Amino acid sequence: MATYLLRRLLLGLTTLVVITGFVYGLARNMPGTPLTVQLGETDPSRKINPEDQERLRKIYGLDKSWPVGYAQWLGNLLQGDLGRSISRKQPVTQLIAERIGPSFLISGTSLLLTWLISVPLGLYASARSGRFDERASSLLLYVLYSFPTFVAALFLQIIFAVWLRGTPWELPLFGMSDLPADAPWLARVGDVARHAILPVTCQTYVSLAYDSRFIKANLEEAVRQDYIRTARAKGAGPWRVLVHHAFRNTLIPLVTLLGLSLPALIGGSVIIEQIFTWPGMGRLFFESIRERDYPTIMGLTLMFSVLTLLGQLLADMLYCVVDPRVSLD
Amino acid sequence: MTPTQPTRSGGFWAEAWRRYRRRPLALAALVFVGWLAVVALCAPAIAGTKPVLCRYKGHLYAPCLAFFDRRLEPAVFARDRFRGTYPQNLKEKDPDSWAIWPLFFQDPYRAVRENEWPGRPANPARDEGHPSASHPFGTDQYGVDVLAKMVHGTTVALLVGFVSMGLAGTIGIVIGALGGYCGGWVDMVTSRFTEIVMCIPTLVLILALTAIIEKPSIWKTMAIIGATGWTGIARLTRGEFLRLRQSEFVMAARAAGAGPVRIMLRHILPNALAPILVPITFGIASAILTESALSFLGFGPPPPSASWGSLLNDARSNYSMWWLVVFPGLAIFLTVLSYNLIGEGLQEATDPRLREARK
Repeated sequence: MATYLLRRLLLGLTTLVVITGFVYGLARNMPGTPLTVQLGETDPSRKINPEDQERLRKIYGLDKSWPVGYAQWLGNLLQGDLGRSISRKQPVTQLIAERIGPSFLISGTSLLLTWLISVPLGLYASARSGRFDERASSLLLYVLYSFPTFVAALFLQIIFAVWLRGTPWELPLFGMSDLPADAPWLARVGDVARHAILPVTCQTYVSLAYDSRFIKANLEEAVRQDYIRTARAKGAGPWRVLVHHAFRNTLIPLVTLLGLSLPALIGGSVIIEQIFTWPGMGRLFFESIRERDYPTIMGLTLMFSVLTLLGQLLADMLYCVVDPRVSLD
Repeated sequence: MTPTQPTRSGGFWAEAWRRYRRRPLALAALVFVGWLAVVALCAPAIAGTKPVLCRYKGHLYAPCLAFFDRRLEPAVFARDRFRGTYPQNLKEKDPDSWAIWPLFFQDPYRAVRENEWPGRPANPARDEGHPSASHPFGTDQYGVDVLAKMVHGTTVALLVGFVSMGLAGTIGIVIGALGGYCGGWVDMVTSRFTEIVMCIPTLVLILALTAIIEKPSIWKTMAIIGATGWTGIARLTRGEFLRLRQSEFVMAARAAGAGPVRIMLRHILPNALAPILVPITFGIASAILTESALSFLGFGPPPPSASWGSLLNDARSNYSMWWLVVFPGLAIFLTVLSYNLIGEGLQEATDPRLREARK
């Protein structure tokens, strides 16, 4: 176990160095620098003169080539310093800490909803396998699965924010809150919840369709096993066979799925946060790429990659917990 | 007792096709994609402002080909100062000329002006551009006809799928085949490399790669999607090659003196192709999704391209123009759905495990 963990850790560290180095190289080679992109776009007359620009380049370490810059970034990282955002003038760690909450609010709610609905749905679908109602609902889920999130988001925005404007069903178009920070606590919670309905719906329906299909496929595989026939022969009822005997054995692939959803859980979704201008991590990443804000790009890339690796490790470890036959060595 | 006639097997792919045909939805999806291909090929003849075929000063021309490549526009029209408007110039400059016009006289890149087509008013712009009889899908904020844009965008949607997955398939198959067939340190290197690429969040990689491009174009977007989407294919190919490398027919081929490249390409690959085609088909669906998402986020190719996603992006600046969302959105959805259905049909038709389960 210990050797396994050590091996995974070493492999993970190598992966992280390769990924961050690659992304750093990419970021530094994007046309424009944080200084030129930011100032040139807002107002051409505010372009800073060459001397100032040279001074700023020195301050932010942009005068060095990217391998040197990467080595410096890595050195600072080892001391626990992710650097300061160039365009936002804030430490990157603080910036990330501010954005984790909103991202988690959407993806956590969505993940919870997905599992609460998709497990019963998967059980139902395999219990009624082949019947008319099952085929209709499976087809509907399949169609939903192919429906692009950003199209659905636009549809929902048009329906709830434009067509239903002025009715009780109206929902806000974007943002996270309209109320000032000194509004009563309860009103603010309600307001954020109203803003969160559409993004959560968008994030939930795709994974709902995918997960329930996944559960159903695994259940159908399990139902064909010999121990299911034994359980039936013993006289166990159909639901007991399905839930107690078959479903327990499909937990293994489900656990893998859960581990792999970790990066999305904290990292949020770039597209959904961008459409609904939700102040989360995905949107921060999108903006930092547009602003060429190297420290933020790197901080987020590091976090996304660590989460991905951690999710994979978690999935493998949980695998052992759920299935004692599997050993990690 | 009559001897039962042994049914002749038509080979693996004929069998697979026979099973595929039994699924009406998968078949419908195939027909839909075929129809899209026809639309893409005939786009300038369906919607355009240039004659499909015309006779001008004694010669036959096909100016509509200019929609595929600007260099295909016959030089005589530039010399005679047509400036892209054909209907009246043709009549004025050569009264004997005739022309076969596209089905639908609208341009995907600009609004049609008043009387450009004799007696037809100018295209409505902004909120005025509701779907109507003359513009079934409406017009965008500059007055460009949405149907014409979508017809010409079909090419992009189809090309994105095929080009990017062609690239991803090639990379994935080469890397997977090398790892699976050679084993040893080659496998070690290719597997680690695949794992590392898998760990980079795809959208992060795509956004970063798209941002370093100086002059974005649809081809570069396709290359990026292809270059990031091969990991699943590589893993699957490696598994298939590992399995088939031990089989008798490979040993027989080796005994007959076939070299490793020949064995990989001629003996193992055809047998491994069916399972590899399934993720490639699903990959086409996700490539189309990624491209339209990028265009939608404003990271796609620059404006004079008619990608479906960029139409959706236009809709974001004016939410009351619902037709800019509904029609391109449905087009993306139907195309993605079709490829997913084809992929699933292919999977069920070629996977022997699923076949046995059906009985």
